[in-house]
Parts: sequence; C-alpha cells; structure tokens
Amino acid sequence: MDSVSVYEVYIYKKPKNLLWEMEQEEAERSTTTVAASTSEGSGLDPIARVRRLLFRQMLVGIEDGRFFLGSFHCIDKQGNILLQDAVEYRSVRRSSSPSPTEQRCLGMILIPASCRTSCHVDCSVEEQLSLIQLKE
Amino acid sequence: MQPVTEAESSSIDHDPTSSGDNSVWAHVSPLLSAACNDLQEGELIHGDNFNLFAAMSALEIMDPKMDSGMVSTFYSIDEAIESGFAPVPISSDRTVDVQCIIDIMDHLLACEATWHMGHSLAQTVFSCIYVLRPERTSSHALLHSFCRVIRATCRALVSVVSDARTNEEEDLFTMTYGLPFSGDEDAKGLLLLNAVEETICRQLRACKATSSKRRVLDELEPLQTNPQLEESFCKALLCRIRFRKHFLHALNCMRRPQGRGLELARKHIAYCIAELESVLSSVEFLGSETVENGKNEMEESTTGSGRHPIGFEPTLNKRLSAPTPPRAIKLLSWKKAIDYYVKLLHNLDQICAFKLEPDLDAVLQFVVQFQKSRPDLVARAHLQLLLVQDGKLYGRDTFLTICARSLALDVTKNHGLHLNEHILQLNQLMINLLKILCANTPWQRRKLGKILNDWSVFNVQMGITVGHMMQQVTTPRTPKNGDKSLLILNHIYGWLEEQIHWVALRFLVLGFDLELYSPSEYCMVYWYMYIILWKLAEKAHFRVLIIVHSEERKAKKKEDYSRDMAREDRISLWVLLLKCQTSLAQGLTVMIAALRNEGMVLKSQGPFNTENEKFVQHFGLLQKASLPKYDAYESFSESTCHARLDYLPVYECFRDAQKMAKEIKVGYANDPDKLAEVVGLEQVAEHNIIAVNLLCQDRSLKVSFEFIHHPHFATAVVRRS
Repeated sequence: MDSVSVYEVYIYKKPKNLLWEMEQEEAERSTTTVAASTSEGSGLDPIARVRRLLFRQMLVGIEDGRFFLGSFHCIDKQGNILLQDAVEYRSVRRSSSPSPTEQRCLGMILIPASCRTSCHVDCSVEEQLSLIQLKE
Repeated sequence: MQPVTEAESSSIDHDPTSSGDNSVWAHVSPLLSAACNDLQEGELIHGDNFNLFAAMSALEIMDPKMDSGMVSTFYSIDEAIESGFAPVPISSDRTVDVQCIIDIMDHLLACEATWHMGHSLAQTVFSCIYVLRPERTSSHALLHSFCRVIRATCRALVSVVSDARTNEEEDLFTMTYGLPFSGDEDAKGLLLLNAVEETICRQLRACKATSSKRRVLDELEPLQTNPQLEESFCKALLCRIRFRKHFLHALNCMRRPQGRGLELARKHIAYCIAELESVLSSVEFLGSETVENGKNEMEESTTGSGRHPIGFEPTLNKRLSAPTPPRAIKLLSWKKAIDYYVKLLHNLDQICAFKLEPDLDAVLQFVVQFQKSRPDLVARAHLQLLLVQDGKLYGRDTFLTICARSLALDVTKNHGLHLNEHILQLNQLMINLLKILCANTPWQRRKLGKILNDWSVFNVQMGITVGHMMQQVTTPRTPKNGDKSLLILNHIYGWLEEQIHWVALRFLVLGFDLELYSPSEYCMVYWYMYIILWKLAEKAHFRVLIIVHSEERKAKKKEDYSRDMAREDRISLWVLLLKCQTSLAQGLTVMIAALRNEGMVLKSQGPFNTENEKFVQHFGLLQKASLPKYDAYESFSESTCHARLDYLPVYECFRDAQKMAKEIKVGYANDPDKLAEVVGLEQVAEHNIIAVNLLCQDRSLKVSFEFIHHPHFATAVVRRS
C-alpha cells in the first residue's frame, strides 16, 4: 500500500439546477486520473477520510433514476448510507411539464448499497483532490 | 494528471463547509467502497449525534413497503395516458371495446370492495385512469357515465363514513387527499347512465326482434359488431349498469333525514341484489373464452371474464397514500367482491327494515342483533347515522322523550325538563352510547369500558341532586307540576342504573365474541356476569312495575285509554330472559368452581399472573365504575371456594333456567332471532344438567367447555379420556 498509487478523481462543476445538469453528467464530466507517490493526504486511511465527509451534503443516485440530497449521517460495512434531512429529486420525463424535476422532503433515509449507482460529496475544488484520492 | 499536495489536503480542515461557485461534486464511490472494505463487521462510521434508535426509523429507499417514491411503470398519470396505457376508445373493434369495458366494470367492483375493507381509495378505485380523468372519456358515453357514477358513489360513502366517524381504526377509508372529486360533474353521471341504459335496452330489443321488425329499428346501431354475441353483451352490460344505478339510489335514499327514504331504499336494495345475481351468471358467457386459464386463476381473478383489465395502475397514486406504507395491496377477487356486496346489501336491508320505533329497548336490541353478523364499516356507518341525527333518536325524538317512554311517563307537558342539566348530560351520554354500539367489536368493547365510568359518575351526581330535591318537596304544599318533573327525574335516575348494568353486561359479553377469556377464567367471568345480570334483572323488573302502575292509573282516569299491552309483555319477557340468563350464569359459576375445587379442571394458574391480577385485568373498568359496589374479588373467592359438585344449587340453577326458557319460548314464538337464542339457552341448561350428573357419578371423566349451543354460555362436554 505504498510506492506507486493511482488515484482516480472525477471532477465536474456543481450545477445550479442539480438534477437537470446531472442528466447530462456523463457529457460534462471531466475525468482526471491522479497518479502520485505517497503523500501526506493519502497517509490517512480511507475510514478516517470518510469520517471527514460526515455532515457534508451528499448526493446519491440510485438505479431507478432518482437522486437524494442530504447530509451524510452514517455508513456501515455493507455500504448502506444514512442521509439526514434528505430531499428526493426525480426528473419528469414528459416534455410538457413546467418543471423538469419533482422534489419532496423525506427526512432521514437509508440508501442500501445494492441500489446505489453514484455518490458525490459537496466540496471545494482545492480539497476535493486530496479528499477523494484512493489507493488502488 | 494533477499531483496532490499536502497543502490542498489540509484545506479540508480549514474550510469544511465548502459551498458556492468554488465547490464541486466529488465522486466518492471508490473511497466509500475502500472504507467499507476496511471497516470491521458491525462497525459504523458516524458522527457524535448518531442515535441508533433514530437511525432504525429511517425510510429505506427502494424498499417496496416503505419507499412510496419508487419509480414504477409510470412517473405520472399524464405520462401513462400519453403512452397509450388507457386509450379512449379502448379498441377500435367495438366488440373488443365492450369486452374491455365489462372487465373494467368488474375490476372496479373488486377495487371498491377492497376499499370498503380498509384500503385507501388511491390504491383501489382511483387506480383506474378512466376514473381519475373522467373528462377524457366524455366522447364515450358508456365508460364516461359509469366512471362518473363510481365517483359519485365513492363520494357518498366517504361522506357517510366521515359523518358517522365509525372509522376509528379503518381511517384510511375517508382519506381522499389529492384525489380529484368534482361533485357537480359526477352528480350528472346518473342521468347519463340512465340514457346509456335506455340505449342498450333498445339495442337488446332490436337484436331479439324478428327480421320484419328489425327494419323499423334499422337506424339503431348495434352495441357491437358480432350479431351472435349482441344479446349476451347487452345483458352483461345492463345488469352491471343497473346495479350501479340502484346502489347509488339506495345510498342516497338512506341518507334522507329521519329515515324517510328507507322504504324506497329497500326497493333499490332488492333490485341491487337481483342485478348482482345476473352479474354473477353473466360469467358463463364472459368466461367462456378464457377457460384455458384454469379454475384456480378464475377464482382469484378480479374480473368475471378472467382477463386483466385495461387502464389500471395501482402505483399511480402511490405518493398520495403517504400515511400508509406504499405496499402493494391484494385486491379481493371478483367473486369475493360480489359476496361482500351481497352481505353489505343484506346488512343495509336489515337497517332499512328496522321499524324506527321510538323505544329504547327495541333500539338497543336491534343494534345488538345487527352486530351479530359482524357488519362492515359501510353498513355500521349507515346505522349510526340513522340512529343519531341532530342529537335525537332518528332525528325525531329527544332522548328525554325516549327515556320517559321506556318508563311509560309522559313528558310532553313538562317543558322545563329538557333544559335540566342532567337531562342534557343524559342526552349526550345516550348519543355516545349509540355511536359506540355501532363501532366494530374490539373498539366497541374498549369504549364501553371507558364510558362506564362516565355513566357511574353521572349516576352519583344525579342521585345527589334528586335526593336533595326529594327532601325539599316532601312538604305537602308543592305545586303539582313540579312534583311531576321531579317524579320523572327520580324514575330516570332509577332507569339510569339499569342502563349502566346493561352497558356492563354488553362489555362482558363482547369479551366472549372477541375470545378474550381463557377457559381457566370462565369461572370469574360467569360470576361477574351473574352479579351484573342479577342486578339488571332486578332493575328491569322494577321498571315493569312502574310501567304497569302508571298505565293502570292512566286507564282508570280515561276509560277509553288503550294500554300498550304489547310493550308491557315485551318488557316482562325481557326480564324473564334476563332471569334465565342469571340462573345459567350462576349455575356455570358454581359448576366450574366445583370442578376446580375438586381438581377436575385446571385452576387459573399461570406463571405470570395471580388470579387476583387476572380478575383486575378483566374487570378493572367495571370495578372503577363501582359495579358492584363491594370488593368484587373477595366476594368472588368467598362465594366459590366451597362449591362442590354434589352441592344442590348447581342443579337448581340449571333447572330454573330450563324452566324459564320454556316459558320464554312461547312469548317469542313470532321472533325467530330471539327464539333461536332462547332455544340455545335451554340446550345449554339441559346439557349441563346431564354433564353434572355424569361427573358426580364418575369423577375421572374429562370435562371441557365449549360454545356449541350459545355464543356466550358454555356447554360442559364430558369425555371418558
């Protein structure tokens, strides 16, 4: 777990209208793969780094196309995530609808790992690189 | 490629709440999975404010029983419509169109019955897009008018149940939040449906007519394209349409004030039952094509034909049914739905057939009898609305009049009395009692136990006031009028105690219906029933004396006065029935106590509760209401601890009961329900005498108690091993 590590980092701009932009996420996403030698940042183990993500806004996408935005509350070994004060976003597929998304507040939710397709955390450009780095 | 530096990494600590234009969404899935790998089994990453209890109540996403937002077939109704899920017309082939409409009608019936049984409207009837958006179907008269009538019916029922508030535990019934209910448009549905019925009638006549006549009717377009099926299709549609029509009419008639529409409602109900039979028989024709489905599938199907109906999507309104978990519900099958409607219609008919006598005894007995068939919510709500309207019985008589009548007193002249605070309170208590008696059995029992306390407090208060007033007017120079109202108050005070005991008895008896008593507790239950019954019989007997006395006085005053002998007889008979039950309860108490004392049945001994505790658990509410006024448990254990099988009263009680039952049978010769009950009581007495005899001779026999002859009085069953 030392010497050469490859860090894969996806960066893309935080959209104003979240989901609308999310739909086009694939297109806009700029992928950066970071390869670097051991640094201070990666000295922390993944658990400690995930612990630093607690209370941040987290955006989780699930397999039926919905997204949930809430503050990151807890995660277990199986990867099930608890979000607090979560809001559900779903896109309306119809063109005639006035708003492209529908949203509703759900409070505390549990997102099973099995249905999670994506997971993003809100952070500044500067920190995100170090935060995300992952030893392969 | 960007190298990660230490400076960047430390910036997390300085600026933990990164937001604004600078912030990005960073993909963290790989990091999370790495962290999960490193976590120990059962270990969590969480903050200081984490609370396992709160976490347990989190809504689980994608759980079909919790996540109502789960995206299923369609996102919205509009999307479903756009995708052609519910076309209008359903098919360009008119035969197929008619077939599909019949399926929709059948499925709606199943949906409606499922709704009545306690599911939400959003998941049942309103899972139909044609019902949700009736304006779409305006070009299709048949489908349109039918859906409008369905909506009007739902509306009428929601209003009945929410007015009656009998739905405490079935409160999904009246939940219509977010559902489109436009009353004015739906009200026209019935007119439209009549017109449609008319047309189909003509089409039916046309296809039956001989060819010569057919030419005259030629301009009339047939219902569908296949002339061989025309007659059967017309008939299948007609019976369904007519059922809906009469059902809505019946509901509307039943809502007329003071029960004025009951007679007419009965006629509509009779039509409904007849039409349902035709609906049921139409399955032979409709199901003929789908025979290959197999019999089992047909039984489970929600349509007569066995096909799946078009235009239904139960998940459409999922997000409207927020208070309920969004679990998929199982609809009743079409056959079961029809069975349900037959039962409902019979229950409604029972209500309509009620004679609305202004006689409290008759009302209470009717309600008890009515509840025996375990009627469902809709029927119970109707009964309650009929009984209590504007705070009066049937919206006609105040409860003062009713109470006075049950004592054969005349209150029409005493104008001041209806403002008396006790009378006002009594009115409220009576309204509550009647409403509770219309509730479902478990709810009813719980509520009865609670109101007993109100009644007994009221009884004590009234006793004090009346006693006070009696003392003041013992002087001979009081005006006659004042005397009369005091007399009425005094009598009502006496009657009140009878009423309290009636409520207590109902409370105890409902325990048998709900199977709350274990066999080891029968002894104490029967002992308590004996105490209550004995007092009730005494009070009722006292009332008979009052009635006879006042009727005799009236008859003396006016020679042409016709005494209400029928009522006198009825109450006397009722007292005799109470006495018969008293003897039976006493006999059972002594018999079970004797068996227990001689070790032939198990004592009520559990590892957790003592007998005294069980006693309090069952009868705490009665004791709180001072029924009886002494320490009941002490009295119970004293009176039962010396019982022996060869102890004479065991026989005596059963013999008395048997004798009385024989007498009562004559009186109830014209009332089959009552007669059946009395025959049951007689059989219980008879069999128990035999059982006691056998047990006395051979104490090694095994004995158990079963409710084979009467639902509340047990019969001892003796077995050799």
